[in-house]
Amino acid sequence: MLLAYDPATNPLNNNEWAFPLFECIHIAAFAMSVGTIAIVDLRLLGLGVRHQTAAQLVKDTMLWTLAGLIIVITSGLVIFTSDPLRYYYSPAFRLKIICLLIAIIYNYTIHRQVALSKSPPLVSMLVAAVSLLLWVTIVFAGLFYAFT
Amino acid sequence: MSLAEFSQWVQGLDFFTSLRESALAYPIIMSLHLSSIAVFGGLILMTDLRLLGLAMPNTPVSDMIAQTRIWKRIGFVVMVMCGVLLAGAKLDKYYDNPYFQLKLLFLMLVGVHALVFHRSVYGNAAELDRAPAIPPIAKTAACLSLVLWIGILSFGRWIAYYERPGQVGSAPATTQRLSRVLLTR
Repeated sequence: MLLAYDPATNPLNNNEWAFPLFECIHIAAFAMSVGTIAIVDLRLLGLGVRHQTAAQLVKDTMLWTLAGLIIVITSGLVIFTSDPLRYYYSPAFRLKIICLLIAIIYNYTIHRQVALSKSPPLVSMLVAAVSLLLWVTIVFAGLFYAFT
Repeated sequence: MSLAEFSQWVQGLDFFTSLRESALAYPIIMSLHLSSIAVFGGLILMTDLRLLGLAMPNTPVSDMIAQTRIWKRIGFVVMVMCGVLLAGAKLDKYYDNPYFQLKLLFLMLVGVHALVFHRSVYGNAAELDRAPAIPPIAKTAACLSLVLWIGILSFGRWIAYYERPGQVGSAPATTQRLSRVLLTR
């Protein structure tokens, strides 16, 4: 059944509104997940929200990061079904998925641990910089998929 | 000079022509545009949710506003600069696109929003901390901000899907995607 899947039958490819609508949801959701992670990163870098500890900010944003990630991944999966083979064979998309997996694992292990514990400033800054770099790479790779 | 002539002239400038034809610069600027939405747009979103009393209850409103202000401003400038480059490179295609025009209108309304609510909300954060509950005016500001920004995001995406009536040649995103899906089968 799956082998006989024809993307031309997908509502995303037959309804004028469906595809751009899912793109909007996808973008708004990554603004939420990456934005909340960025709040923690700004704190770790010592560049903002300095009246709170990184630990407080992680706890305060946790739910919204998770909600954003769930929506962004779900909408992403739906968008993926519009042309699975092209996504699968695209180097940009593969890079995006690899970075996404690394970023999620990183966010819930190293990033979280460093934010919750008292780490030396240099470690915190490095961890935050890597986090921002990972998430921005995912955005770049997602866009380059469309251009290649 | 008509708007159409002006748009053709802008897009025809050497700078914008090379930008449009560059295989790398154009997607990089678009990625930067989108990355600023992720990092800095997220800050605006969370500030609005904080003002509505929905998110980050342990972070005072004043910190949410003042401590992220500089980054929202930097993000806004980067976002707009990238936007100007992207729009300038294809202005002849965009100038009469209704979604492009709506996006510009909403961006102007963001300025109006900032002016209107500065005194009562954004420049008055310490007062909001002391209030027993977040006042309706602050919640109104947050709701309107959400409407404006989600509108800007959506119109921005919709620009790519509009086709000028009677125009042949520059296929909108839908057509491009569909022909790809059908051709690769």
